[in-house]
Amino acid sequence: ARKFTDKHEWISVENGIGTVGISNFAQEALGDVVYCSLPEIGTKLSKHDEFGALESVKAASELYSPLSGEVTEVNAALADNPGLVNKSCYQDG
Amino acid sequence: MVLQSSLKNCLQLSCILRTPKAGFRSTTSGSLIIQSISNDVYQNLAVEDWIHDHMNLENRQVLFLWRNSPAVVIGRHQNPWQECNLKLMRQKNIKLARRRSGGGTVYHDLGNINLTFFTTRKKYERMENLKLVVKALKALRPQLDVHVTDRYDILLDRQYKISGTAAKLGRTTAYHHCTLLCNADKFVLSSVLKSPYKGLKSNATPSVPASVKNLFEEDPSLTWKMLLDAIAEEYATQHQIDHHITLINPADETALPGINNKAKELQSWEWVYGKTPKFSVSTCFNMVHKDSVLDVKVDMDVKHGRIEVCHINLPEQWLPPALCSELVKSLTGSKFCPNETTTLATTLLRVCPQDDELHSRWNLLCENMVMLM
Repeated sequence: ARKFTDKHEWISVENGIGTVGISNFAQEALGDVVYCSLPEIGTKLSKHDEFGALESVKAASELYSPLSGEVTEVNAALADNPGLVNKSCYQDG
Repeated sequence: MVLQSSLKNCLQLSCILRTPKAGFRSTTSGSLIIQSISNDVYQNLAVEDWIHDHMNLENRQVLFLWRNSPAVVIGRHQNPWQECNLKLMRQKNIKLARRRSGGGTVYHDLGNINLTFFTTRKKYERMENLKLVVKALKALRPQLDVHVTDRYDILLDRQYKISGTAAKLGRTTAYHHCTLLCNADKFVLSSVLKSPYKGLKSNATPSVPASVKNLFEEDPSLTWKMLLDAIAEEYATQHQIDHHITLINPADETALPGINNKAKELQSWEWVYGKTPKFSVSTCFNMVHKDSVLDVKVDMDVKHGRIEVCHINLPEQWLPPALCSELVKSLTGSKFCPNETTTLATTLLRVCPQDDELHSRWNLLCENMVMLM
């Protein structure tokens, strides 16, 4: 099940692994994402910690962790293709 | 008198800042106009961070006015090697700062004014802010042909960029800041914003170059102070507050607790250079030594500002292979930085025999390596 924060991040949990993204509302509001700044694998985060940022049209929008835990994987496709966040915010982005 | 006045203003600000959410009773919006007494880019960026982190903007907005002594300011996700001439900046003592907002690279000096509009995230509205600036400029000089583009630039005479914009969106607060060219040094601006570094490959956000002009060139009777006052007056009118500018001292830890740590972080190598997105350098250079010209090919991967992978292709036996591999080994993991590289090269040379020819070749190679940084 996908749960949403009041800041338009979403999280779905399976077998103790949570996957985090931003909502369609958020990606539309942001505009074309040109850069994704994401944490290193192994980074330990607490709920509400700032873990990265998305940049679009000269605005850097902070990303906040909806939960506490350790980063086990980062969507590497976003490095070369940050627009995936707009095109497919629930799947490939 | 001036000292007393600014001290009084600073105290007023700290009172306002400490007032709890429900406590500030006022018939007006309670918005504030503040101006920094410092020209230090790191201190001023720290003030932005501080306001963003500590001020409650539910019932008020803030306009922050600041100017910096010569500095190049890159956006959050940019690569300084791609954006500016770091060598020239070191020679001229021009600082490099990385801001927390997005966008491209700009040059600041005392002939440029910076405006930061703080609001809640919901009330974030760049176009409105820029229209306010244009309104103020036109009120001051009705004949000025200035307008806002859909890239959030302000153009003079439909051609010249006089203002660029960037923004940061936090959890609950947002800020939009922009520059305004009053009487900046355009020669220095164009020379420092031209990168001499070749062979860089990166997904860092690039700048969009533009022709710029100072408002002073259009109308020599204009000063930065007049422009600043006009903007403050328009802001005061629109926010229904007194046209009163509160001065703040960014070094004042009492008024702004924690600010010195913020300034320190903004100046740190880890933030300025270390936050550069991963990039690669793939380039070659010629070295002229005595009567021969040598081709050297260099390939490096730089992550967090440090050399992750390093390959140097030299003509065989021009330098002892063992020494070359020591150089590559030492460079790997070290900062992509001229000082660090020079130190490391000097250290390695110490364990070599006192051979003039060897030393001169080594120095030539290392000087060229340093030129890449």
